Amino acid sequence: MSRVVYALSCCLGLAVCTLLAYGDEVSRLTFAQLVDSIRANLELTQKIQSYNGKEVEIQGFIIPAGPPDLSFFLLSRVSAIGNYCCELPTGQDETVYVFTAKGVKLFYDPLRVYKVRGRFDAGIRHDAAYGVSLFRLHQAQVEEAVGAKVMKSEGNAATAPGR
Amino acid sequence: MSLYSIAWKYIWGRLLASALTALSVALGVSLILATFLLTRGIRASFIVGATDYSLLVGAKSNPTQLVLGTIFRMDVATPNMPYSVYEQLHDDVRVERAVPVALGDAYQGFRYVGTTIDYFAAAPWRRKTFAVAVGRLWDETPPEQPTYEALLGAEVAQRTGLRLGDAFYEGEEMAEYPLTVVGILRPTYSADDRTIFFSLASFWGMNEVARNAAVKPLTTVLVRPKRLSDLPNLHREFNVNPETQAVLPSAVLLTIFNLLSVAEEVLRFVLEAVVLVVLLYLFVALYSAMLERRREIATMRALGARRLTVLLIVLLEACFIALLGGLAGLVGGHGMAALGAHLLSQRGGLALAPFTVSALQPLLLAGVTLLGGCAGLLPAVLAYRTEVAENLAPLS
Repeated sequence: MSRVVYALSCCLGLAVCTLLAYGDEVSRLTFAQLVDSIRANLELTQKIQSYNGKEVEIQGFIIPAGPPDLSFFLLSRVSAIGNYCCELPTGQDETVYVFTAKGVKLFYDPLRVYKVRGRFDAGIRHDAAYGVSLFRLHQAQVEEAVGAKVMKSEGNAATAPGR
Repeated sequence: MSLYSIAWKYIWGRLLASALTALSVALGVSLILATFLLTRGIRASFIVGATDYSLLVGAKSNPTQLVLGTIFRMDVATPNMPYSVYEQLHDDVRVERAVPVALGDAYQGFRYVGTTIDYFAAAPWRRKTFAVAVGRLWDETPPEQPTYEALLGAEVAQRTGLRLGDAFYEGEEMAEYPLTVVGILRPTYSADDRTIFFSLASFWGMNEVARNAAVKPLTTVLVRPKRLSDLPNLHREFNVNPETQAVLPSAVLLTIFNLLSVAEEVLRFVLEAVVLVVLLYLFVALYSAMLERRREIATMRALGARRLTVLLIVLLEACFIALLGGLAGLVGGHGMAALGAHLLSQRGGLALAPFTVSALQPLLLAGVTLLGGCAGLLPAVLAYRTEVAENLAPLS
């Protein structure tokens, strides 16, 4: 009897672990992938569009372009406050429009890389309130990316953070 | 007689001691509530009062000073920059709207702001809306033909008593250039309610230096780009320029919030200490009351009261005192918050809502009553364990 209970417990534990591992598995996109996906007339590759509606994670710097409650902000490969000592600011191709989930709280640091996870949405969109955008993340959760690297490696014009 | 009425009679029997205990609870609750309402209110009023423009461009100075001065009219104005900066931004294809702002002196403490009527124009990206309650906006005229027509914020009109057609000025040198009220705005619940607006032509006309200067001065330009992704490039261009700086207002406010959150952390520790002290005081008060009543309790027990009944009476007494203190604390907390909000409105120009009712108040009341019950638990257990024979022995 005890063996049966033991076996059942093991199976249950394994199932929970699998579920947890699967639940935590979110596609990671880099700014390099975003830049590479752009074709003529701001058309996007099928590959990047296949992520539409899916949960993805992107790392970058926060540019508070919206209200100070950070319900909306831009995620960029380059910090906007660092006086651009190392790199020129990015444009449309390396900017993600982030709409955070309600109640998201974070300690804003302009020189810190953040890990932003949300529902991905790619393609040109004209919005009366936010203007034209190419990449968006909806219902996003934000946390600091500990140990992320954002230095651009030599010869690679679009090395993404964390690479 | 029900347990509630016995507990109530116990409180009534030691009215002064019970009132003082409830007062200490009330003070603790007031402090917690007022602190919460004020800290949350300061943050909320900064968010509500924040501009819808994504970028401010001004002369080289402190970014916080530029944001506080331009958006919240809190600090002294930053140095002037040439009007050509506005023209440059106005003509930039990446910019959807650029609005010039010139900060001036004040009338009875209400700041003068020279701008264009674009300042009040609606847009899909604007949360803030302006509406004229009475009168109209000023007529835009060339710099050499100032009209000196003023548009008052709602609070300015209310506090100064100025009405349509009134002419006013402050300071001897302004006597030659009195402003005439042509309109009053509806409340916006932001710093604009405490502002006197007029045209840039009037602004320059009132200023002895600017009147004759070939290069007209300006304090700030509010900028909204067509594409927000152009923001970093615009920010860089005006920051690397040796004469100007570009500031993301939300970034500055978030930095202020970060500083506020450090102060909030400290306050939280202080409030936790206050809660502990109040609970300790409640415990001591109930404990000493229980010691005084050992004979009464023993009599009740001798007359047939069960141990559990005695325990419940002491617990109810503790809960009643905490509840009364909590109720008084809610009133006191809102009063303290209203006082703090008034001071902040007078000195800092922040519009707080000290009487906001949310889930906090019932939660606080329930929490205080529960903690009061916890503080009364040990005295209640001691009452529960009171021996009849021991405590009914003759006093002599």
